[in-house]
Amino acid sequence: MPQFDPASFASQLFWFGVFFTLLYFVVVRPTLPKVGKVIDAREAQVSGDLDRAEAAKGQADAIRTAYDDGMRQARDAAQAAVAAARDSAAKAAEVRLKALAAQLDADAEVAATRLDAARAAARANLEATVADLTTEAVAKLAGINVTPADVSAALAAR
Amino acid sequence: MEQFKIETIAPLTVAGTDLAFTNSSLWMLIALLSIAAFLFIGTARPQLVPGRMQAAVEYLYDFIRDMLRENVGRDGLRYAPLIFAVFVFVLACNLLGMVPFVHSFTPTSHIAVTFGLAMIVFTLVVIVGFARHGLHFFSLFLPEGTPIFVAPLVALIEFLSFLSRPFTLAIRLFANMTAGHVLMKVFGGFVVSLGAVNIGLGIIPLGVNVALTALELLIAVVQAYVFALLASIYLNDAVNLH
Repeated sequence: MPQFDPASFASQLFWFGVFFTLLYFVVVRPTLPKVGKVIDAREAQVSGDLDRAEAAKGQADAIRTAYDDGMRQARDAAQAAVAAARDSAAKAAEVRLKALAAQLDADAEVAATRLDAARAAARANLEATVADLTTEAVAKLAGINVTPADVSAALAAR
Repeated sequence: MEQFKIETIAPLTVAGTDLAFTNSSLWMLIALLSIAAFLFIGTARPQLVPGRMQAAVEYLYDFIRDMLRENVGRDGLRYAPLIFAVFVFVLACNLLGMVPFVHSFTPTSHIAVTFGLAMIVFTLVVIVGFARHGLHFFSLFLPEGTPIFVAPLVALIEFLSFLSRPFTLAIRLFANMTAGHVLMKVFGGFVVSLGAVNIGLGIIPLGVNVALTALELLIAVVQAYVFALLASIYLNDAVNLH
């Protein structure tokens, strides 16, 4: 096998040394670190973007919480306002109802007074008429002259 | 064994040593130029969002970096360019040796070249080991918790296994590449000899050779991977001492 012929070893090792040295110092060293730098930069960019996304998510969450809080407060305030309006409306209605009732009572009293007065007047009229009629009837039937005042007195005495 | 024959292209003798430029040198040069083209095009304008060539270079580089991160840890990333160079050189030599019709030669099927590659890894391990740990690097040969009465024996075995690493590394790659190529040559010969008997008989070894070609391509890639993987495992010893 030519592999075990030492005559070519020196030449093979020499050229291997030359080409590998060239490969390492002229080809690999000037080129590969550039790629390494790009890979690192990309990793940095990706992790930076992820951090930024995380931060943005945190911000969005905060805004969301604030929004929810605002909504809750607004709802509470609205409910309170509605309750207050309802209370005040009920109170106002009650007051007006009371006023109206008082007015009605007063009106009823006035009406009753007037009714009593009218009744009294009617009775007085009736007594006067009865006295007159009685006077006339007594005069016609018995021929006794009595005045209506006597009749009234007689009626009052009974 | 004609496919492994070293043929001189340009003779060169320095101080009585034959350093001729041979077909082995030529194919190493072709490998070097292919890698150079791949890397220079791939990194010409590095962009955050890579193009095809840059993505290919990055994929390969990430592969090596991940391997070092896994086997050595973050400290191992410093050696990524060298391990990358070793990996890509072995890969290029292995694959270029598979190109048909152009009298291709596989430099990694020769033990001199694989030994050179192994010595690069071995030297790196020794230098890194002593640079990081000084004389404490020798504690590598005495695993923790070894009973004192077997310690000399264990240390001797560990030391010998450490010294044999460049040889096993070199022989593994050389033997794999050589055996595969020999097998392909053998079945190629069968195609001719059986085909001469009956043209239909020649089809069988031809089919086997098609399958073998696929297997050889796999071995070419896997052996480059194994070489780089073992290099990073040995590097782990030097960086982390077990």
